[in-house]
Amino acid sequence: MSVIVLLIVAGGVVAAAFLAAFVWAVRTGQFDDTVTPPIRILLEDPHPKDAVND
Amino acid sequence: MHAAVPVSSLSLSAPVFEPAIAAAVCRHCGDACLDRPVVTEAGTFCCAGCESVFGLIAEHGLSAFYTCDINPGVSQRAASTRDPQRFAAFDDPAVAARFMVSRGDRAEVTLPVPAMHCASCLWLLEQLWRFHPGILRSEASLLRRTVSVEFRPEAISLRQLAEQLAALGYEPVVDQEPPGRTPLARRHLYLRIGFAGFAFGNVMLFSIPRYVNGAPLDPEFQTLFGWLNIAFSLPVLGFSAWPYFTSAWSALRARAITLDVPIALGLAVLFGRSLVEVVTRTGEGFFDSFAGLVFFLLIGKLFQQKAFDALSFDRTMKSFLPLSVRAGRGDDLRVTPIHELRPGDEMVLRPGEVVPADAVLVDASGAVDFAFVTGEQDPVNIERGSYIQAGGRVAGRAIRLTVARAVSTSRLAELWSHPVFSTPKPHWLTGLLTAFGRWFTFSAIALAALGAALWWPDGRKAAEVATAVLIIACPCAFTLAAPITLGTAMGVLGRAGFFLKNPETALDLSRVDELVFDKTGTLTLGAATAAVRHDEFTDEEWRWVRRLAAESVHPVSRAIAGAETPAGTVSDVDEIPGIGIEGLVDGHRVRLGKPATPASSAAELTAWATIDGGEPRLIRVEPADRPGIGDVVASLAKERAVQLLSGDRDASAASWRRLFGDRMQFNQAPEDKLATIRATQQTGRRVAMIGDGLNDAAALAAADVGIAVSDDTACLVPACDAVIRGDRLTRLPAFLDYAVRGRRVIVLCFTVSLIYNALGLGLALAGRLTPLATAILMPISSLTIVGLSAGLMRTRIGRVLA
Repeated sequence: MSVIVLLIVAGGVVAAAFLAAFVWAVRTGQFDDTVTPPIRILLEDPHPKDAVND
Repeated sequence: MHAAVPVSSLSLSAPVFEPAIAAAVCRHCGDACLDRPVVTEAGTFCCAGCESVFGLIAEHGLSAFYTCDINPGVSQRAASTRDPQRFAAFDDPAVAARFMVSRGDRAEVTLPVPAMHCASCLWLLEQLWRFHPGILRSEASLLRRTVSVEFRPEAISLRQLAEQLAALGYEPVVDQEPPGRTPLARRHLYLRIGFAGFAFGNVMLFSIPRYVNGAPLDPEFQTLFGWLNIAFSLPVLGFSAWPYFTSAWSALRARAITLDVPIALGLAVLFGRSLVEVVTRTGEGFFDSFAGLVFFLLIGKLFQQKAFDALSFDRTMKSFLPLSVRAGRGDDLRVTPIHELRPGDEMVLRPGEVVPADAVLVDASGAVDFAFVTGEQDPVNIERGSYIQAGGRVAGRAIRLTVARAVSTSRLAELWSHPVFSTPKPHWLTGLLTAFGRWFTFSAIALAALGAALWWPDGRKAAEVATAVLIIACPCAFTLAAPITLGTAMGVLGRAGFFLKNPETALDLSRVDELVFDKTGTLTLGAATAAVRHDEFTDEEWRWVRRLAAESVHPVSRAIAGAETPAGTVSDVDEIPGIGIEGLVDGHRVRLGKPATPASSAAELTAWATIDGGEPRLIRVEPADRPGIGDVVASLAKERAVQLLSGDRDASAASWRRLFGDRMQFNQAPEDKLATIRATQQTGRRVAMIGDGLNDAAALAAADVGIAVSDDTACLVPACDAVIRGDRLTRLPAFLDYAVRGRRVIVLCFTVSLIYNALGLGLALAGRLTPLATAILMPISSLTIVGLSAGLMRTRIGRVLA
């Protein structure tokens, strides 16, 4: 019994940590736009040789 | 170069779009180069606008733009018609301050750029800092089609920034008010789903041992697990599911029953009975089903919320007016926000600007077109003292006006205050679900009573059966079917260039049985794309004619002149309204005028030009019908009634007769269009209005579905239920079929979930609805519905997307 209680508490803490991480992610706006970031990560900067910065 | 370019044939029944030569493809936007292409070393472009955007991008070493995604460029054909002064309002610090957030020497602005549509657009818009040292950082959102730019205002003004974006082909759309913040409701929904999912998973952990065991666990475990389940489920009840309770409560207080009532009832009974079972140690409760149910319900809601991602559909009259004009008393003219205009103020409006308030002309003469208000594109000549209504657009040259009435009391504003704009449109789905909710609630309660009566006098068993009926009768699957089907449909249609205001509109669309078309801008294209044919002019002579035509504001002249003014010096110009224009071009006397007798074919406009007193030679202007539109209307007319309502004169009536028969009306004022829509609805028909101008706004608002046509992504469309890209109008029949499919899928889902419910009700009435049976039945029915609705709306969509 006591082992189970220990496991439940440990499991609950881990689960709660993930829930807290999710709440933080939502509150910092990470779910506001789920379309753009997955595309942005695939885009590369133009080659330095080509790019002209004026 | 400018010799006959045969474009659309005149007969509407024949295939309308037939380029005689295999047209080159524009290097920038990928459109076919039909009329007057621009050829440079870099390639062929459909217009000078595209060529200049291409050059600008190449100059900054960003040509990778063209390899990121397929045809990323947006055609710039309409760009040359825009007012170069349109961002002048940003020169006013007070106006600029409303749009920017300043932090020290930096400022940030978020501008909607509707032209953004692909990975390449995203990439280019995030490289903005390469174009100007004053731009520090830019971040684009494909979802909302906005770009946020951080910049140093002393290095680059807001106006220059907007012009820079426009130069790249991403015309920012500037409304009277800056765009609002991300709605918080969306974040709340994610949090609600998060808590429900969290509870669902954990409650499952404490419920499965009982199911696997096949018999009740040791009492101490059962009690511990029961209380843990209560602890996990409380946030689901009090936070995740709470909106269902408040919604049901407000419905009941209004003596109405919506679908949320049986849901709230089912959830309350589910939680209550589980609580009693755990507290009295008589069972393990249904907490897993409870958390799972709420989780699935909220997933369905997520589909509904897609509406928030869409472009803004709510336009007010002021969206069409300039932010500010140059106005004041006497000679002291300065940039004045339009709401500060007072009667008696003088204002100077440039060509292309819209008159913001009813006003009187101070200059001797001028020209104004009322295309926005009435749909008539032909400019009207006005003289000193003429009363000009708000909404007119200055043509020809700048004019000076005296404000007669404040912006808010103009006739345009009065039209806009018509109740048709403030009455929310009832969606068929809303009515359907309300009727269904009522029927469902009463049936569930009646069945619960029946169950209790069957098991009476065993009071405990009777209560068990009654609650079980209410639990299983919870219409979860029903609430999922419509949002997922219609939400998916909305997404697919959006990819195809047909943007719905909300998912419910898809269902309204499926029920439309009469389509009412506006003519100008909907069935036909603007003068800028009209095909001009002549056959006797040399290239040089033709340049003179075009150069002279560029001096005129008449639509036929504009069409002859083309998008870019040709080279040449003009002097001695004399224009007689209704007759023609005459002038010296490069020393040659050119006359351009109307034929004495009306053209033989009404769909074709003709003009005559003489050079240095020679023989008059014929020029034909074909106001281009939208390519393929004849076939589309003909195919729509097979299953639905079609009607034509035009704001302009009936010059081209004959050519439309074969499609619309007698169901055509011309010279229709906005109020007339509204009345016609209403009258059609009175006959029991469900009407879709398809139009493009402000003059259609009232009709769009009154129709069951108002569809605005938009050729230029940066152009404002009136308030409507859906926006269709002009070049996708030809696919309207496929879109309507797809909407009808959506309705059938919903009916199928309702049928399937009724079967599941009947199964569950059988178990419940027999007193055999165990927590395990519930835990299996409920998710399976929900998942079936999700699979059916999302799956069927995603298969065989080739004809929609093609």
